[in-house]
Parts: sequence; structure tokens; C-alpha cells
Amino acid sequence: MRFGRISKAVGIAAIAALALSACAGNSGGNTPSTGASKQGGSATVVEVNALNTFNPNTADGNTDINSKISYATHSGFYYIDNKLNVVHNDKFGKFEKVSDNPLTVKYTINDGVKWSDGAPVTAADLLLQWAAFSGYYDDADPKAKTGTSYFSYAGDNTGLSLTDFPEIGDNNQSLTLKYSKPFADWEIALGGPGIDVPAHVLAQKAGLKDTQAMIDFMKSKPRGDTKNPQPVDPKLKAMSDMWNTGFDTKTLPADPTLFLSNGPYIVKSMNQDQSLTMVRNKDYNWGPIPSLDEITVRYIGSAPAQVQALKNGEADIIAPQASADTLDQLKQLESQGVTVDQGNQLAFDHLDLNYTGPFADQNVRTAFMKTVPRKDIVNKIVGKLDPNAKPLDSQIFVPQQAAYADSAKNNGSSAYQDVDIDGAKKLLNGATPEIRIMYNKDNPNRVDAFSLIRESATKAGFKIDDGGLGASDWGKALGKGGYDATIFGWINPGVGVSGVPQIFKTAGGNNFNQFSNPDADKLMEDLVVTTDRSKQDDLEKQIDKKIWDSSYGLPLFQSVNVDAYSDRITGVKLMPNQTGVWWNFWEWAQK
Amino acid sequence: MLTYVVRRLVTAALILLGASFLVYLLTALSGDPLADLRASSAPNRQALMDARSSLLDLDTPAPVRYFKWLGGAAQCLVPFGNACNLGKNIAGQPITEALGFALVQTLTLVTGATVLAILIGISLGIVTALRQYSALDYGVTFMAFLFFSLPIFWVAVLLKEFGAIGFNDFLRNPQIPPGVALGIGAVLGVIAAVVVGGAAKRRLIVGGTVFAVVTLILIYFSITLWFRNPGLGPVVIAILGAGIAVGITVLVSGLKNRKALQSSLIVVAIGVIAYFAVQPLLNEATGLMIFILAVGTILIGVAVGYFMGGYDRGQSMRAAGITAFLVGALVLIDRYMQAWPSYFDNSRVRGRPIATIGAGTPNIQGDFWVLSTDTMTHLVLPTIALILVSLASYTRFTRSSMLEIMNMDYIRTARAKGLSERSVIMGHAFRNALIPIATIVAFDIGALIGGAVITETVFSVHGMGFLFIDGLLHTDPNPVMGVFVCVAITAMAFNLIADLAYSALDPRVRIKA
Amino acid sequence: MSQPTQEEEILAQQALAEAAATEASSEETSGLSQGQIVRKRFFGHTGALVGLAVLAIILVLAFTSVGAWGLPGWWKYNYLDVSPLVNDGAPTASLWPLAWGEHPFGQDRIGRDLFAMTMRGAQQSITVMVLIGAIAGAVGAIVGGLAGYFRGWVEAVLMRLTDVIIIIPVLLLAAVVGQIANRRDEGSWFASFASSNGVVILGIFLGFVSWVGLARLVRGEFLTLREREFVDAARISGASNARIIFKHILPNAVGVLIVNVTLTMSAAILLETALSYLGLGVHAPDISLGLLVAQNQEAFATRPWLFWFPGLFIILICLSINFIGDGLRDAFDPRQKKFKAKSAVETTRHSSTTPVVPNVPKEQ
Repeated sequence: MRFGRISKAVGIAAIAALALSACAGNSGGNTPSTGASKQGGSATVVEVNALNTFNPNTADGNTDINSKISYATHSGFYYIDNKLNVVHNDKFGKFEKVSDNPLTVKYTINDGVKWSDGAPVTAADLLLQWAAFSGYYDDADPKAKTGTSYFSYAGDNTGLSLTDFPEIGDNNQSLTLKYSKPFADWEIALGGPGIDVPAHVLAQKAGLKDTQAMIDFMKSKPRGDTKNPQPVDPKLKAMSDMWNTGFDTKTLPADPTLFLSNGPYIVKSMNQDQSLTMVRNKDYNWGPIPSLDEITVRYIGSAPAQVQALKNGEADIIAPQASADTLDQLKQLESQGVTVDQGNQLAFDHLDLNYTGPFADQNVRTAFMKTVPRKDIVNKIVGKLDPNAKPLDSQIFVPQQAAYADSAKNNGSSAYQDVDIDGAKKLLNGATPEIRIMYNKDNPNRVDAFSLIRESATKAGFKIDDGGLGASDWGKALGKGGYDATIFGWINPGVGVSGVPQIFKTAGGNNFNQFSNPDADKLMEDLVVTTDRSKQDDLEKQIDKKIWDSSYGLPLFQSVNVDAYSDRITGVKLMPNQTGVWWNFWEWAQK
Repeated sequence: MLTYVVRRLVTAALILLGASFLVYLLTALSGDPLADLRASSAPNRQALMDARSSLLDLDTPAPVRYFKWLGGAAQCLVPFGNACNLGKNIAGQPITEALGFALVQTLTLVTGATVLAILIGISLGIVTALRQYSALDYGVTFMAFLFFSLPIFWVAVLLKEFGAIGFNDFLRNPQIPPGVALGIGAVLGVIAAVVVGGAAKRRLIVGGTVFAVVTLILIYFSITLWFRNPGLGPVVIAILGAGIAVGITVLVSGLKNRKALQSSLIVVAIGVIAYFAVQPLLNEATGLMIFILAVGTILIGVAVGYFMGGYDRGQSMRAAGITAFLVGALVLIDRYMQAWPSYFDNSRVRGRPIATIGAGTPNIQGDFWVLSTDTMTHLVLPTIALILVSLASYTRFTRSSMLEIMNMDYIRTARAKGLSERSVIMGHAFRNALIPIATIVAFDIGALIGGAVITETVFSVHGMGFLFIDGLLHTDPNPVMGVFVCVAITAMAFNLIADLAYSALDPRVRIKA
Repeated sequence: MSQPTQEEEILAQQALAEAAATEASSEETSGLSQGQIVRKRFFGHTGALVGLAVLAIILVLAFTSVGAWGLPGWWKYNYLDVSPLVNDGAPTASLWPLAWGEHPFGQDRIGRDLFAMTMRGAQQSITVMVLIGAIAGAVGAIVGGLAGYFRGWVEAVLMRLTDVIIIIPVLLLAAVVGQIANRRDEGSWFASFASSNGVVILGIFLGFVSWVGLARLVRGEFLTLREREFVDAARISGASNARIIFKHILPNAVGVLIVNVTLTMSAAILLETALSYLGLGVHAPDISLGLLVAQNQEAFATRPWLFWFPGLFIILICLSINFIGDGLRDAFDPRQKKFKAKSAVETTRHSSTTPVVPNVPKEQ
């Protein structure tokens, strides 16, 4: 109840007084009860961007904040913990591989799981998610400009596109997916971490009678065929439009069905571009039970402003884009009771060498790699942030993953621990190749890494050209040639293996340096159809070794992950992936 | 006159077209909207790039896209057509909606600051002009240039550190050590001595008095923990009110106009009585009620002046009206101070009232006073920052304008016919000096709508500046164009108004149609 | 179709008034040429002299210490050199005992010398500033002069062009232009030039958007001056347009021009700072003072030297230029006399329309 609205509603002061006293009666003007039991309390979390849609799966809505709010307000079959394990939530439902050949996965939702308007969560909700994620109905051919692309899904559909129309059973509580060939990442393909779009709402908004009508309609539609595009289906179009943009908003919708929850929290209020408040979903008992009664999210862009807000008590939990100075500032707040956690993110910077030009010769590549002062780079760029930081020693794993240690030991990275100028000179044999290094000039870490590499490589006889480009241009230059080496970043997916062939397979979509190794290609083909996780690790280790053996380039360092929280709060834990501190929000508690 | 206005409007429309085309093209050229996707390792990178391309319509060349945009924008000209379409931003929000929100944010942020900067700037400008080349003049000039030279994000960081975090820490135990009290008293005393000017003896007396009074007040505040439970009370209001009455009378009419002085003092007396009368009413206050009360207060003041009359009834009315307004403001401040403890102890505020970010405490609940105090505690830092950096231009411009006027023939004439210095300055010089300043102010309003980009960034207020910069960083012309059109139209409208006002204010200027 | 504006009406009025109230010269300036008067007044202005001295010291320090245009400087480090961190990067300079030490201003995180970086930044910032001033001054003088002198369609076209640019807020325009100036992918001669001289490009681009205010002022001045008797006299005696403009009008308008160019320059350095803060100005590895402050603002509480030293230089440069501008304004305005409120007997007419504040609005 802001006063502006009231003052508009009433004409004269006397009536205003009445209205206000009436209004003050229910809002109380007093403190909500706090700390009576161990449960309860509130916390303010800082995020950089503002929420703009309640469907975080669309290409336009797929920003971190949308996913985080969705994570807190929806539940699903699994979530990912900070050790990058897939944790099944059996209280929500069960999903299991019923057959390996053909790969068949059955999802069963428990009874009693329901949306916040009382409607049960059923297989229809899952079916809708499948339809959107799989692109089953799409018949668009971008080159020929024919056909229609219905659901604008941000993620990758390579796995689910292998599935047939699922089978729905057990009184609409179960859904069975059959893959036409094995798919390595089946475990994270569907049903989590949140089932975020309610099918009954979407069906109604798209003009269908009810959920059953939607299921029947979807069953009747055949798979889209790009070779044989059909005219736009109006019903499907209405559904996909609703899915794509119907949940977009920056203010709390007047229609509560647009932000239904089936998870621990429900969004209570939104203040455009300022804050968002969630309160506990009282019905929720199908997963980890949260402790806080209320979580407020505030949007603050710059890291220093976040730190000052924490210092001033306006925020309880922050996870700023950290620099050494931000961290120092946070450390100074420790005397005030603030706890600072630091670790690694899944994002890492790496140096890639092109397999053309002067680097076509493996000796030159190896020589160059010997000159890269990785320890120095790590110390100077992230050492202040994380004194224990070490150079990353795997192209495929990060230390958070169990297989990293083993892979790093055996993949040959040990040869590049220290700078070996003499070794490099020996390999160069008097040659002085001219190397042009491309990087993003607007990223200080890359600029500093370049400066340090240039300094060292020059000693071995390399002539280094500064090929740095501005923020808006370097991305376009990737893969186009015109440089011999490049420094940039990847984000390790943490869970799942589909990304590996993208980068390392011959002619992979992100294979910018034209690395090509038939053995590695073979291994990657096996990898993507291996459904057993330990076997996946084995294959990945072999691939990692092949990459290192061919002097591909060097991973440099992982970005540092920092979070800090005030002494009012307990239970915050660091998480390397994009879910950030939110991954265990149910463990947050107020002291 | 009418032809002149019409011609100006037509020219303005053409200029707007040209400039908007330019801005659209420049924005579209300024970067790569797909930059963040190009280095993405997502397996469906191409699909994401296609999605964004179709969202931003990148396959259409920028000039063609401009005309598409123009087609939508032209519908805004249809009155009550409700078909206004300025496109959508990259987050899928219609620009018209985003603009509406951003405009409110920006106006909340900059209005107070601009008004205060103009008031303080003009006052300082006049004082420094009257004391040209004095220590005060040099001091103000130096400070003005210094603040002008400071990057605002720097000022903002310092303000947050000391004005918010430091002050909040202080409020936890609001005791001022005697040494600090003495120091602050001494500094203010020296400033007072410099400001007052004149003979050394006079300076010494004034400086000493200020030093003593300030120090004692601070010690009193410290002992009574005043900052925790602030308040003025009727006695202080009466004393301050009397001071205001005398001061305003001096400026408006001179103390020789006894009737004016009497009306002002009567108004103060009424104000003190009303202080008790309105307390119950104020407990149920709303914004509208405060506004009505303010208008009522001024009317009462004017009425008192009217009935007191005197040889110059207008002067009495003015003096009494202004005094009434200021005494009313004192009563209001007192009421805010009464609400302070309840705001301070609010569970959302948790005893740290001065905020470093945002426009309000999320989910705060309370009565009118608590809510508006909340708004003020959030605005105080950005307002100070904006005042500091924009003070220089108003101060310096007023000073030069005033200096110019003070050398005019008619000022010499006014002096020659024996007018008092007060009526020369207030009656002849000041008003004329304001005329050119009106142009500057009108010009600034356009920039004001454009948003205080950096201030918004630092204090995380998502206003017009944020909308613009965010659009530019995403190479998304729609929000940029939305902001630009708003700014340009406001700027041109106010320029026209300024020109018309100019001809009304300055009889030498005539508009040729 | 010339459009009369209030501005020019006032100016015309002033021209008449000035013609009537000429020759109010007092003893202190009698017998001196215009140049001598200006010089005398300027050197009598303490603030301006201090400003000039400070600016001169900064210039010398900045351009000799780390060297420029390929010439080596006397300072042992280059702004790109990486050296081991001494004392965790803290400044080694001290006042007591007075010493420079190894890294007087400290080092950044990878060990670059902050003194060298600050000096290089000052060079770059000054370059941007001078370029903006020079280009804005030249373009503004030409556009404003032509419009004011020839009037008619020339004026209409030029002033409408000015209007188009002036309604685009400076920061908006500068930000777009800054973005464009930093694109280096074209692979043309422009790209190769820009990649090594990004600062120069930025300065030139910004110069081409900062001239509008100046053009308006110069035009106003020309409008006044062309109505004066000495111009009529010259025209009657058969002087060409060029001669009238360059020999008669321009010298009289040069005061306004110089003063405002100065003030545009002081605003320019702040514009550059604001742009760099927003990530739209000078880009690494180029360095400017604004970029240094912006990059290190997070170090405000922890490694304050990274923030304070470049900031100090911005303030010093800006302050000294403002004071120089203030002094120039007083010096170039022959009619300005010291005004004394108490003994207001001497009332020489003063009718400068020169604003003393930069006409480039400060970015907030």
C-alpha cells in the first residue's frame, strides 16, 4: 500500500484518513513475527539482473535470474548439488531407466504434488515440457526459410529430439520416453530442476478446453518434418505463443495463474527492476523443506554497490562478480560477522592454438605451450582472489568433478607446469615464428593474460602480435582465421557430456581452431551414446589425453566464485554452476 | 505569435526526424548484438543466434528497420489511439511500458536534486557576485570547480561509505565526542565568519557566536541522543519561525515595512498554534492531504498579509505567504522527526535508515510518515551527489549574470535615486538576472529527463539512463530510441517555452512571426 | 528562410547598446593594445596563474616521464612493463623522509607501475581533451562564423544541422560514437590505425560531436559584430568577405571562442571519464585517467592508491583548466570591471554574454 495509490483514490482529506486507518489495520505497520520458532525469518539476496519472465526456458527468457526464481518456486525430479551430482527428489516423483535398448525412461509424479492453485501436477505438465524441449513439432528449415518453429526453447534438443511421442499412463501421473538411440545425458534431459509451466493454465489460455484436450490434441499432431513443412497449426501456435511470451512480465501479474508455484516458495510481490519477494508455499511437502519464511531478491548491478549494501545491512547474501579488491573489501567485513566463501566457477579461460599457419607444426605448438607462464598467470590474475588457485590441468574436467584428479595426472599436462624457455628454444631450433594472438581487449583478465604470455613467449624467440579486438568484435572473429592463437573462456557444463564433441570433434560447432583427431572423434561418438556415468568418465579421460597429446593449447584458470553473507544468515554454500548460492536455498536459515 | 509557434513546431518535427534517423543508425552500427552468443559453447548456439536475430529483426538492414520503427512510433501521434508502438526491448518488454516506469524512477531521482541545485546554486551565485573577489567568492568558486571536476561515481562511493554506512554506524550510538563537537563548531564558525563579510570585529562576533551555539547544540544532541529521537517541538518552531519571519521580511520588503514584519510574525504565531491543532490530523496524513494543507497554509499567510495591509499590501502578502509556507515546512519536519523512531525500529530497516541503493526498502509497511521517510532515506545520497556536481554551473552562471546586471545603467539609476541596497538587489537586479538563467534551466530539463546515467548505475536505480545504456550495450535500438525521443521532445518543448517566456519576461525581446 | 531567435534579438539589442556606450575605458588600460590588456589582466588573475602553472607541470611530467611519440622517457618503467610486486603493490613514495622509491604510486595487480600508467593515462586524457577542444573549436568557429556572417540559407542549413545534433544528449551521442570508435574488425586502414591509436580516434569522434554549443555562441557573436560600424566601414572601403571575417570580426570573437574551447576541454576530460566508467570510452590496453579510475573503483577501500592517484590527476587537470578559463574570460572581456557593491560608483557597462560554465553539460 503505497500512499500514492490511496491519494488517487480518495478526494478529500477526511475520507483519506478513514481509508488509511482502515488500510493500516490490516497491514499493521508493525513487524511481522520473527524468530518465534527455528523455522521462519527472512533474507535478502542480491542479484544482478531483474526477472522478466516466469518461463526461464525460452531463448529470450533464459537468464540466470529467471532460472533462479523458477528454481525456488518450482520442483522437479532432480536437482544438481554443489559437487555436480544429480540428486533425485523422490518425494516429488520417481524417474528411472526401464530399458537400455532402446533407451526408455519412465517418469512418475507422486500423488499430492500440486500447483499453488490446487491443481495437481500431472504428466500433462511434463508432456508440455517435453514438447517444448524436444522441438518435436518444429518443421522449420532456417536455410530454406520454410516451416514453423513453435516453442522457442533456449536449451539443446539433441537428446529429446531422439524420442517418440511419450506414453502417458497411471492415471496421468506417469510418462514414458523412448529414445531411438542411446543418449548419454538422459538423466538431465527432462523433468528438472523444475517443472515450471502449468499445462492446465497454458491449455486454458491457448483456448483449449482442458488439459485432457491438450494431451489429445498433442497426441494427434504428427512430428514436424523440415523436408515437408506444413501450414502453421493455429492451436499449436497459440500454445507455443503462450509458452514463449505469455509469462513475460516485469511486474506481478494481476492473474495469479501466470505465476503458479509447485515448489517451496511463491512469488508474493514484485517491484519492477528493484526487488522481488517470495514467501513459503504452505502446501509444499514434496521435497526439501525450506526454513526461511520469506526471501527478498534485490537487483544491484555493480559489485562495489553490492558490497556496500551488504555492509549497510540492506542485503544478506551476495555473490558479486569478484575482483581482488571486492574480495579484500569483503574480508574486511568479516569483523562485522560476514562470512566469505570462495571457490571456482565452471567458467575457465584457455589459450587455443590454431592448427594452421605457424602452428600447423606440432613442435611450434609445443614450444609455445612451454613458454606460457601458467602459474604466473594464475597467481597474478586469480591468486589474490583465491590463494589456493592452481592452473587448470584438463580440457574436459574441472576439479569439482571426481574424475579431474585422475585425468590431470595422466593426460600429459604435467609437461606444461613450469615455463621451459630452453625447451621451447630447442624445439623452435632457431626459428622465430610470428604469432598473432586474438583476445577480448575489454576483459582485463584476458588483457593481463596476454601481457604475461607475450612477455614470456618473446624470450623464447616468438614474435607476438597483439590481435586483441573490442568486446563486440572478438566473438565474430572466432573461427574466421586471421590469428594464430586465441585466449577466451568456456563454461564447463558441469553435468552432461553433449558439449564435448561441440568443441573437440572435427568440424564441431565450436571447434574454432580446427583440431581434428580421428581417434578422438571415434571416442566422442561413443561418448554421446554411453548412458553409464562411469563409462562416460573413462571415455572423457581418453579424449582429454588425445587433446593434450596433440598440443591443442592450454587451459589457464577457472574464474573465481565468491559469495558472502551476513551474520543473520546460516546455511549458504558455494556452488560452481549458474544456479549459484541458490542451489540449497532450503538450507538457508535466519539465526 | 501563432505562426511563430507553428513554424517552430514544424522545424522541430523535421529536426526530430533527422536526429532520430541518425541515432537509430548509429545505435545499430555501434556493436554486435550477438556478441555474447558467438563464444558460447552451447550446442544449440546457432539456434539461439537465429532466435535473437529474428527477435531484433537483424536480417533487415538498419535503415529499413528505422522506417518500420517509425511506422509504429507514428501511431503514438494518434490521440487516444492506444496504438503506440515503440517496439520491444531484448527482454520482450514493450518500450512504452518500460519508458513509463523508467520515467517515474528518473523523475523521482532527479527532480528534488535539480530543484535544490537550482535554489542553492542561484543563492550562492548571487552572494558571490555581491562579494566578487572576496574570500567567500574564491572559496565558492574553488569548491564549485572542485565538485564539477569530481567524477560522480567517485562522489557516490564516498557518500555511501561515509554518508550511509558511517552515519548508520553512528546512529547505533549517536554520541558526539566533545572534541568532534568543538571541531564542527569551529569549522562552521569560520565559514560563518567568511560568509558574513565586513569588518574584522563583526566577523569575529558572528563566527564566535556560531561556534558557541553549534557546539552547545551538538553537545545537547549528544547527551539527549537526539539523533535517535529527533524532534523540534513548539518552542524551537516558534524561535526558528520568528527568525524566518524576520529574514523573509528583510528580503521581501525590508524591516522598515512594519506591517509586513507584523504579518509575518502573526503567521508564525498562528503556525505554532496550528502545530497543536493539526497533530491529530497529521497522524492520518496522505500525500494529498499534505498538499492541501500546504496550499491552505500559503493562503492563510497571504490572507493575513492582505488584512494587515500597510503601504504596500503586496509586500505584506508575499512576506506572510512565504513565512507561512516555511513555518508549515517546519511543522512537517517536526512530524517526520516524530515518525523517525518508528521508522528506525522497523523490522525491514533494522536500525540502518540511510540506504545505499534502490528507491525503497522492499516490503516495508507502515503509515504515510514511515513510507515517505523511507523514500527520503533512499533519495538522500543520490540527491546530494547530484547537487554537488550540478551546483557549479548554476552558481557560476548566476554569478556572471548578476555581475553583468549590477553594471547596468538602470541599476546605477536605481542607486542614484536613493533606493536601499536591498531594493536595488532584490527589486531590480535579481529579477533581471534570473531571465537568462531561465534559459539554462529549460535546457537542463531535457538532460534531466535523459536521466542521470551514472548516478542511476551507482545507486542501482533503473531509470531512463539505465534503459538507454542497457539498450546500447545490447545494441538494441528500441530502448535507445525510446529514451531519445522522450529527451528530444522534452528538450525542444522546453526550449520553445523558454523562448516564449523570454519574450514575456524581457520586454526587449520580441518574437517576429 | 532565416529563423529569428531570441538570442539574436538580444544580441542585436546589445550591439546597439554597446555602440552607444562605447569608450568607457578607464585609466588602467589606456594606451595599451588589446593583446597587452588581455595579457595584463590574465596575469593579474591569481587563480588562472596557479592553474596554468599546475597544468604546465602536469604536461611536462606526463610527456617526459614515460616518453611519447616513440621517444623514451626518464622514468624507469613503461606503462606496459610487468615487474615483481614490491610491498604488495603499495606506493613507495613517502613525504617523510621525502623519497620516490621504486614505485612511487604503487603497482596494479600484475605489477605494472602505477606512476607510469598514470602518466600515460594523463597523456592520453590530455590528447583526447586537446583533440576535442581543437576540433570542436575549429568546427564550431567555422559553422558558427559562416552562419552568423552570411545568414540566409547558409545559416538556415547550418543551424538546423546544429539543432539536429544538439538535441541528442551528449552522453548518448558520445556513447554511440565511443562504441563505433572502438570497433576494430574492419581490417581496413581505419581499423589498423584505430587499433594503435584508439585514443586519437575517440578524441576526433568526440570532437565532431562537441562543437554544437560553440557554433551557437560564435554565431551569436558574429551576428552582433557584423552590425558594428567597423564592419560597415570595412565593407564600404571594399574589403572582401574573407578579409572582413578574418581581419575584422574573428579577432573580436576570439575571446569568446578561446574561453569556451577551454571550458569545453575541461568538460571533455570528464566526458571521457564518464564514458570509460560506462565501458564506452578508452579501452584497455590503452590507458586513460578515466579508465584507470573506473577500473580501480572497486579498489577504493582496499588499494586506494589505484583510485586516488589517477583521480587526483583528473581533478588537477580539470580544476586548473577551469581556472585558466575563468582567468581568460576575465581577461578577454574588455568591458568587465571589478564590481564593488559597497562603493557602487563606477558602473562601467558590461555586457558579456559569455557563460563562464562549460557549455558541454556535465554527465551525471
